Amino acid sequence: MRATTSLHTCRRVALALLLSWAGATSAAAQPAKPPAFKPAPKVDVSPAVQKLKSGDEGQIRAGLDDLRIAGAAAAAAAPAVADVLARGLTEPLALQAIETLGDLESSDGSAILAQYASHRTVTVRRAAIKALTRTKGAAAASALRKALGDADAQVRGNAASGLGALKAKDAVPDLFVALDHKVNEAAASIGQLCNAEQCEQLAGKLGKLPFDVVMSGLELMLFRPSSEVSEDAKIKVLGRLRELGTGEAHRFLKDVERRLVKEASPRIRQAVEQAVKATAGGSQ
Amino acid sequence: MKTVTIRILGAAALIASALSQGCASDPSRLNTFSTDWLDDSGRSIAEVQTRLRGARPSANTDLVVSVAGNDKIIGTPLGGGAQWTAKHALDVRPIIAGGVVVVSGGNEVAALDATSGKKLWARPTGGLPLVGAGDDGNLTALSLSRGAGSTLLIVGRDGSVKRQIETDKTLGDPEVVGGVVFVPWANQYVSAIDAASGDEIGRVTIRDKVSRALTIGGTLYFGELAFIRFDDKISQSSRGGASRVALPSRELPGTPRLLVPGTEKVPPAANARDRDRLFGRPSGEATPLAIDSGRFYASYYRLILGLEAQRGNLTWVHTHPHDFIGGEAVTGGLVLCDEEGKIVALDAQTGQVSMEKSVGEPIKSCVVQADTFQAPKAATPGPSLSQQITDAVTVREATLATAQRLLLRELATLEDESATKTLIDIASDPRSVPVLVADARAALATRKNGAGYMLAALGKHYDFLHDVLRSPPVGPIAAALAAMKDPKAPPLLAAQLLDPQITDDDVKQAAAALALIGTEKEMPQLKQFFAMYRGTAPSDEVAVAAGSVAEAMLRIDPKGSRPIVEAAAKDSMTVPVTRARLEALLAATPEKGGDKPAAGEKPSAGDKPATKTKK
Repeated sequence: MRATTSLHTCRRVALALLLSWAGATSAAAQPAKPPAFKPAPKVDVSPAVQKLKSGDEGQIRAGLDDLRIAGAAAAAAAPAVADVLARGLTEPLALQAIETLGDLESSDGSAILAQYASHRTVTVRRAAIKALTRTKGAAAASALRKALGDADAQVRGNAASGLGALKAKDAVPDLFVALDHKVNEAAASIGQLCNAEQCEQLAGKLGKLPFDVVMSGLELMLFRPSSEVSEDAKIKVLGRLRELGTGEAHRFLKDVERRLVKEASPRIRQAVEQAVKATAGGSQ
Repeated sequence: MKTVTIRILGAAALIASALSQGCASDPSRLNTFSTDWLDDSGRSIAEVQTRLRGARPSANTDLVVSVAGNDKIIGTPLGGGAQWTAKHALDVRPIIAGGVVVVSGGNEVAALDATSGKKLWARPTGGLPLVGAGDDGNLTALSLSRGAGSTLLIVGRDGSVKRQIETDKTLGDPEVVGGVVFVPWANQYVSAIDAASGDEIGRVTIRDKVSRALTIGGTLYFGELAFIRFDDKISQSSRGGASRVALPSRELPGTPRLLVPGTEKVPPAANARDRDRLFGRPSGEATPLAIDSGRFYASYYRLILGLEAQRGNLTWVHTHPHDFIGGEAVTGGLVLCDEEGKIVALDAQTGQVSMEKSVGEPIKSCVVQADTFQAPKAATPGPSLSQQITDAVTVREATLATAQRLLLRELATLEDESATKTLIDIASDPRSVPVLVADARAALATRKNGAGYMLAALGKHYDFLHDVLRSPPVGPIAAALAAMKDPKAPPLLAAQLLDPQITDDDVKQAAAALALIGTEKEMPQLKQFFAMYRGTAPSDEVAVAAGSVAEAMLRIDPKGSRPIVEAAAKDSMTVPVTRARLEALLAATPEKGGDKPAAGEKPSAGDKPATKTKK
């Protein structure tokens, strides 16, 4: 169930990338502009921070509630939340503080979240890993890499996905090890982060790992802008799929062909079309 | 009521016998298998002993007889000679008796020549199961079970029945020496029957349970739980004065038996009882009677334990690739056969294989007879006892767990540092049998050496990506290293303290160790642990650990730590178990002058861990 959800997520991400890929391929000299980002208006966090400093359980809970409602706009309160978490709370409050730090999306929360990412209670670890994916920063990436070796499959999976979201390219070798240990979420992250050689390595997993798992990564890789992954690398992967020649490879390629934007590179388009033809009638 | 009927083949003899029984009114006079006999203080057996002086039992053939396939009997000589095969229906396991192999099944009993497998004779049994046999080269005595009674059959080499004695007593495994048949019965008597006349010419009362008469190395013994030698002291047997040797009592895996009761029908195929056995060989004519080579042996599936014959101390352990299903102690060692048809001799002193033979095919059971055969001495002494135990306890077979637990306890008594390593390996290996892990952990906590192995183990952590799927036994190692006051332990223990994969009990023990040997260098981890778990401890063990960590903090930095601990003790968010521990700690270590926080300074329940929070 979790793997399916993860694959669906990958498809949504792929679609988003597909849209941006059109611009990247049509005009290499004119990189795609990111969508306009409106920073959230800042809010006054001092009343909430006062509550956090009260030492009173109820007040702390109320302060955290206030901050969660404000979300990223209350990022200035992240050090105070980290501080209260670092002093020690009950488990429900600790979970609330962790989730609040995730909502604040400030890297100020990453260091304390990294500590809670190795808490003995698995629900606490899972929450911390999820929050780290949102707070980002070096401490987050380091903690997520460490969490790939966690005993809990959900922690490992979330950590693998988080490394992709954090664009932690240094973590790709670890993600491959994770993938070999059935952390399927690692495939999508590899697809998001791989260089040409690593993308080829991922394609090499075809036939060794479940098709859907490998494709969750290759799909993302194929739709990445050519500034990140060269056309040659993509054509190599398409060649691998063509060689595979199975029915599921054919269906995948058909799907890629259908989703190719008008502005897609002629070389890529041609490679996809040829691969679709070559795999038609492939074995099931 | 007549308790015994002697049926001599021939009517005249039968009548004579009946008359003889009818006149039996003197209780000191022997009537065959009679229970109204009064102990004659060894007089009658002494007469038999005198009669047989110089009449040594015939040499037995040194042979392994295996049952294989469908009623296939294979004879493999231990010395020279060719292997032979024979076919015969089998209801019970073959018995090697002197120079013959007695087989029974298909309503007949037959004798095969032990050197060739050639059938010498066969007699109908009416379906009675064979339970024992003895042979002196001329006569073969057979004990057949009749439910509530037995039949003793004495057969000549030509197959003619010399005597057939039926009794309502349960007879054991007989032996024949010089034409006299020795028959154990009623667990306490051995009757000497003159094969020529059928008369009981002597009887001895044995103080041990006795159901077998057997010759080993040219000497006659009686026994089941011990060996009683038939020598010039046999007449003192009823007074406990016979030459006797038994194996020392000690803890062993399973319920091994030295000798299968001579009244027991042994199935043709080996069963569980054949997989845990005791083996020991009496020393022969030497005085006092002892156990050969000073060793006895216990088998448990594919493990063999070599044990010192005086006190039963473990001297070696042999681990074999397959289960042993039969064997016999021989001079200088032990001969065993496994279910794959391999025959090995083990050196008594080292447990090393000193000879190998093969039946050539898997077997269902085997019996061994070794009269003059001697186990060769092994070429090498083999690995240390510690290593031998390690080899045995690291075999991952649940069936061996009972023996492995015993061996682990033996290992824990050895001062060899490698024993520590083995205990760590077992406790760290996810494939280890759970009971062994528990035993290894318990033993590890008491180790006084092998700190290097312990420190190396503490450096390892659970790591799914690198297939380290069980944390090291942190708790017992912590206890051992704390007892040794090892200065290298605290940083490693502190790192383990924060590892979520160690058990709650390990956390508790690691924290307790740090309370004793933690240093200033571990303060950041101690503070982090304290803050993180004082309010979120998922178990009482972890809550206690938080208390121990507070103890460590107060010992290392009383001034800096007291306000933190005091605040936590008052904070309702601190779990009750930890709070109680903190209150006790604070009460036990009263505040000293200067330790109090400055006026107006607000103590915080938990100090901030060493985070790098951006301001």
